[in-house]
Amino acid sequence: MRRISRIAAPLLALGLVLAACGDDGSSSTDETTAAAETATADTTAAAEEATGDTTATEDAAVDVASLGLIADGKLTVCTDAPYPPFEFQDETTKEWTGFDMDIVREIAAGIGDGLELAVTVQPFDGIWLAPKAGTCDMVASAMTITDERKANALFTDGYFDADQSLLVRTEDKDTLTSLESLAGKTIAVQTGTTGETYAQENAKDATLKSFDEPAAMFLALEGKQVDAILQDLPVNAERALKDDKTVLTATFPTGEQYGFAVAQDNTALGDALNAGISELKANGKYDEIYAKYFAK
Amino acid sequence: MSLSRRQRLRLVRGGVYTATVAALVLILLAVDWGALGGALFKWEIVKDQFPDILTNALRNTVIFTIFGFIGGLSLGLLLAIMRLSSVKPYRWFAATYIEVLRGIPLLVTLLILGFGIPIATGWQWPNPYVQGSVPLALVASAYIAETVRAGIEAVPRGQMEAARSLGMSYTRAMATIIIPQAFRIIVPPLTNEFVLLIKDTSLISVLGVTAKTLDLARFGRNGVNDTANATPLVVAGLVYLALTVPLTQLAAWMERRSKAGRR
Repeated sequence: MRRISRIAAPLLALGLVLAACGDDGSSSTDETTAAAETATADTTAAAEEATGDTTATEDAAVDVASLGLIADGKLTVCTDAPYPPFEFQDETTKEWTGFDMDIVREIAAGIGDGLELAVTVQPFDGIWLAPKAGTCDMVASAMTITDERKANALFTDGYFDADQSLLVRTEDKDTLTSLESLAGKTIAVQTGTTGETYAQENAKDATLKSFDEPAAMFLALEGKQVDAILQDLPVNAERALKDDKTVLTATFPTGEQYGFAVAQDNTALGDALNAGISELKANGKYDEIYAKYFAK
Repeated sequence: MSLSRRQRLRLVRGGVYTATVAALVLILLAVDWGALGGALFKWEIVKDQFPDILTNALRNTVIFTIFGFIGGLSLGLLLAIMRLSSVKPYRWFAATYIEVLRGIPLLVTLLILGFGIPIATGWQWPNPYVQGSVPLALVASAYIAETVRAGIEAVPRGQMEAARSLGMSYTRAMATIIIPQAFRIIVPPLTNEFVLLIKDTSLISVLGVTAKTLDLARFGRNGVNDTANATPLVVAGLVYLALTVPLTQLAAWMERRSKAGRR
């Protein structure tokens, strides 16, 4: 008897668990759907009541419940920071700021009753997969829209034109002015970026050295381990401006555009972001933020 | 409660088994195996990793590890002897060195030495292997020194006394009597150190990698970028295991053998 009961107990438990699971699965989905429906109805009703005008609600009535936010009342953004001037921490307020962050904060404020911005920092490597993995709601990380990335994430409309560029040490400013002049030299690129792809395709005679982040590339350039940095123009331009030891010698127009990314099936959030981008462009906020970070 | 101690034990044990089985079943049911396989182990991608992952990435990881270990062991041995020396400055130097290099993360040491030395002195690392292996060896030596010191101290004092009374010099007694016995004691922790070193080589890529100097982890991460799938990382992880598991097993075998020998 004892022997049997020792084996039987777990089996019995197993059976119970199986039964419970079957039930649980269906009932919990029902509940979620029901909850979502109630929430939807509530928000719409509330919005309509508040304005008392159905046509005017078109814009404001973005249904927050349908956005699938991972934290209530917050738009959680994945970014590879610091990457000035797009994302960096303000020295005094410690708040995430920069072109991307300001744009997203502005858009988030216009969704529903206004969402707060929450920032999750992670390496750029495969960052566009983060919303799918549930790490954040969206990616805002000076990320170029490419077909490969589009296969695994839903991109918004482009919000920024970004070309590639070449940054070299000041003493090389007259000699290293093109990819041809870098034959036999070493070029630093950031792993997983479009700059890396561009260099692989167009600088076949140079050795490419890939780094995790721009900070390491700048150190390697200063320490003469690499002869040039090929990456997005705004980042190189910012460095050249702040650092006398480096200078920008070439730009390569590639027609690249930065976009925000959300999980592929989250069209609701994608639409909300697109609406936000057009609104900022229409009401002048976009130009205001642009002027703040990119002095002409 | 009127349960006897034995009954209580049986109850607790039954509860633990039941809970384990229930947890396993829950996990098995909750996981979407098809999706998991597609995301983590896609066969076409697995095949694409070979042979490059072995001929290039594994080769580089092994080179970094071996340079790091040989350098770390030689320097670690020296440091351990300094640490036990009767000359005070030697002891101070060794103690400070060990504290500093054990207390700073390898990642930071790599960045400071790898980038900082060329910037500060204008001197260039001769090649990426040296640039990556030297910081690795310096940090490893700090850990190995402590392991070796413990081994030397574990050799019975009588061994040194007997050797000295036979007329051997301190150096000779150390080299021929104490250190060989100490090594027998420290084989298991030293293997552990070696395994840690294999895994630590994955940090060297912060110094930048060319197509020829990719290590296993970087190879896997690049694969994730190229394929938009996590399979290359899983394959890299398996190659690490293929490297580390035989080593730990070998160490376990050597430990058993040496125990049997001493009996």
